[in-house]
Amino acid sequence: MERGEVGAQVRSAVDGDAAAWKALVEGLSPLVWSVVRSHRLSDADAHEVYQTVWFRFAQHLGRIREPDKAGSWLASTARHECLKVLKSMRRLTPTDDPQLLDRVSEDRTPEQSLLDLEEADAQTERIRHLWQEFEELGERCRQLLRVLMASPPPSYQEVSAALGIAVGSIGPLRQRCLRRLRARLEARGAV
Amino acid sequence: MGDMSDVNGEESFDGGESFDGEDLGLDLLEEELRRGAAILDPLPAELRRIAVEAFVLHDLDARIAELTFDSVVDAIPVRGAVDVPRMLTFHAGGLTVDVELSAQGLMGQVLPPQTARVEVLRGLRATAPLTTDDMGRFVYGESPAGPFALRLRTDEGVLVTDWLTV
Repeated sequence: MERGEVGAQVRSAVDGDAAAWKALVEGLSPLVWSVVRSHRLSDADAHEVYQTVWFRFAQHLGRIREPDKAGSWLASTARHECLKVLKSMRRLTPTDDPQLLDRVSEDRTPEQSLLDLEEADAQTERIRHLWQEFEELGERCRQLLRVLMASPPPSYQEVSAALGIAVGSIGPLRQRCLRRLRARLEARGAV
Repeated sequence: MGDMSDVNGEESFDGGESFDGEDLGLDLLEEELRRGAAILDPLPAELRRIAVEAFVLHDLDARIAELTFDSVVDAIPVRGAVDVPRMLTFHAGGLTVDVELSAQGLMGQVLPPQTARVEVLRGLRATAPLTTDDMGRFVYGESPAGPFALRLRTDEGVLVTDWLTV
């Protein structure tokens, strides 16, 4: 999705256009998901934070000052909500909504997804190795790369809002982290 | 938490200058990660659907009561205290809503005291409305775990608190 359309979609959604809202969700939910997953939350917490972010966005829609930067607004809101959940050391009882739990369990586990892959074993193996090495990167690199993995790729403005780091530092950090990841892959002979 | 400077302190093999073709290689690696995420950590379809449905929460007529105090962020923890209720304060104009959340449920008070109908919003479901007593107080006997907000109907109109994750 062209990020340039976001401002117009927000304005249409404010006027009650459900299709524009749906387009916003389609375009920006991968970003919200990436930001949430870049923080070390349990799956249940991640699911709840994701929802809270969208509920708050729907609620504040008509009051967002810079509609063109809705992606940054969502990324920043997701970050703050993640940090807050991490900070509330002892949450109330986890969700006992059986409906939601059932729905969640319908999702494919990573293992199932890999089994579903019909490509050659070699590629499956490569993705598995890549993911393992990514997971073992230092926390900061893991976090940055997980946000960058959103599809479509986030702008550096959005990454900045997602992680609370200066826009100017993202490029060099990205390079550093990707090099580190590549070195890990080379070390295990997976390149 | 957002400080990423410690990256500099880790291994030093990657300190060199970039060379021709390297940027392209890194772009490809990032693209490969993106494909990996799509397979191994995708957004659950159910969550996407909930976000689409959340459009019903867009209500231009409701005022927002902003969260101005949250004990998770603003209070100093008491050493050794367990099961401390979470205290929240919301403001909208001259109206205040104080809320105390615990594993047992929720107690709240609308100030200045007034009659209001209060719905507990849990995700996209709302509970049957509660009515405040003459002190503006209300009680909900269930722990509202998950995404949570309150919707209040007062003489002056409808008010919805900021959403938060309980």
